[in-house]
Amino acid sequence: MKSDVAIEKPQQKVSVFKTIVGNQNFSIFCILLGMCVALAFASPKFLNSSNLFSVARAFSYIAIMAIGECMVIITGGIDLSIGSVFGLAGVISTMAMTKWGMGIVVSIFVGLAVAALVGLINGLMITKVKLPPFIATLGMLSIARGTCFVLTRGYPIIFLPEKFLVLGQGYFGIIPIPVILMLVLILLFTILLKRTVFGRRVYALGGNEEATRVSGVNVDRLKLTVYCLSGTLAGFAGIITASRLGVGQAVAGTGYEMDAVAAVIIGGASLSGGRGTMSGMLIGAAIMGVLNNALVLLSVSAYWQQIVIGCVIIIAVTVDQLRKK
Amino acid sequence: MKKWMIVVMTVLVLFSATAVLTAQGARETTEKEIVIAVVPQQLGNPVFLATERGARAAAKELGVTLLWEAAVVADAPSQVQLIEDLIAKGVDGIALSCNDPDALRAVIDKAVANGIAVSTFDADSPNSKRSFYAGTQNYNCGKLCGEYLIELTGGKGTVALLTGNLGQYNLEQRMDGFKDAIAGTDIVISTVLSCRDDLNVAITQVEQYTAANPNLDSWFFVGGWPFFAPPNSLSNLLAWRERPNKTIVTMDAFLPMLSYFDRGAVDVAVGQDFEAMGRLSVEYLYKVIKGETVPEIIDTGEIIVTPENYKTFKETMVWN
Repeated sequence: MKSDVAIEKPQQKVSVFKTIVGNQNFSIFCILLGMCVALAFASPKFLNSSNLFSVARAFSYIAIMAIGECMVIITGGIDLSIGSVFGLAGVISTMAMTKWGMGIVVSIFVGLAVAALVGLINGLMITKVKLPPFIATLGMLSIARGTCFVLTRGYPIIFLPEKFLVLGQGYFGIIPIPVILMLVLILLFTILLKRTVFGRRVYALGGNEEATRVSGVNVDRLKLTVYCLSGTLAGFAGIITASRLGVGQAVAGTGYEMDAVAAVIIGGASLSGGRGTMSGMLIGAAIMGVLNNALVLLSVSAYWQQIVIGCVIIIAVTVDQLRKK
Repeated sequence: MKKWMIVVMTVLVLFSATAVLTAQGARETTEKEIVIAVVPQQLGNPVFLATERGARAAAKELGVTLLWEAAVVADAPSQVQLIEDLIAKGVDGIALSCNDPDALRAVIDKAVANGIAVSTFDADSPNSKRSFYAGTQNYNCGKLCGEYLIELTGGKGTVALLTGNLGQYNLEQRMDGFKDAIAGTDIVISTVLSCRDDLNVAITQVEQYTAANPNLDSWFFVGGWPFFAPPNSLSNLLAWRERPNKTIVTMDAFLPMLSYFDRGAVDVAVGQDFEAMGRLSVEYLYKVIKGETVPEIIDTGEIIVTPENYKTFKETMVWN
């Protein structure tokens, strides 16, 4: 396994140019910048602040989910259940506030608690039953989605309280609240990963699990924490989306786990673990958001959009690989 | 493996086995009953809830056992598998809304060859051996929307289309009907967006496209996705709509959409009678199973909702 990537050395004094070019996010940032410049020329509407914030809001849900996914992937695991947990937390919270007579804040916490519990069960299946993360979370993908349907019978949960809608639809100044939440969470988790013992252990676990275990780290507890956080963050994204749309839906978030994984991988993480950053993931999510916006603004035929998205994902990761050689 | 885990696993296996056997036993005692399975395109689309209601009401009246089965997302291969399972199960009748007319054809024919009465609703598979189709003529609905748009705009201007999954037969038919209706007029289609049946994507696309193209004259929603969300979720669309000579024509009509009529934001909604589809599918399948002949096309008609009549529509609409 790669123990060499487990430890980062950010504090060295080198020239500013080298620091920038050598930064692991440099190539994907250039791709994002290139896309933005090209799009600004192709469609003058792109640079409108309202459009830019609309784009940021659209990818903020994916980015918030991807924070948890990113940590899971750094440990060398994967969480396929987050799209379903996204839907489940949205359904639970909206049902709690419309049907079970709970207050808005309590409802949100109930949704988050269920999402955390699902993450915890994932973690238990992986650490205690020793299921591969792919299998455990694949099973949970189905269970969580099924629970959404059992609870709602397919009916959308509508007539949500106005105050709840502020979370997803409101603005702080001119910046949409989901975007602010995304930035705050990314900042928090960047500090957690880069500046705390917990963060170092997460990287070490993905770099070499045995070595980490032998060095006295409680690997199982670490994994439980990471999967639990992954579920909670996916749930939070789902609750924000339910607020943004003003409706809780059983199908919300179907397939979003793949968008989150794509954002993390474009952001320079390795599926074999030990590598990945929050800032890279944010750029990855932004690339996908800008791409989706470009396809809408430029009226690219819907028949071609899927192909374009796939190509951009592969190109972004390829360029990153070439740079590393 | 630890001992307690083996115990847990054994209990789980025994539990599932008991559940299956109990269900089996229940089925055998009611062997003589007629079993009809109704298969919508997916569980996630709330328009089919009315179909389930209609089908259950008819089944209760006729003393038929009703199975309501579908995959979570609209997808032809999983629907084919589901029909295979229903054939193996030995149901007497199947009514389905096809995710793809050609992909489902072989398995429909197989079911018919196995002596199962098969019908389609909502989305047809016209070249299969199904007994009948109960539903709206999607082509006609699309055409009707096109004709309304011509009437409302004087036959000129740009129109943006929002569809769900590309290649889905009923949506493609609606678009064909719409395009044929506006052919020869000065109405130009500026874009066709595909929301993949995802409400979040639908709203993002509509909001972004509307904000970027304030000079757009009209929207035609090939299905009613954006209107499941309350009006404040579509602020760009509503702001655009406030300006003069902006038109919105949509397919589908359901309760949450009516709040848009309250705000005068929709010109016309062409809805389908999903409840009638469920009810008539079961009633006519029952006739087919009893050996009666039935017409090949059962038209469930359209529901036209306008700012003038939407309030009466509101009263008849059931929403659980």
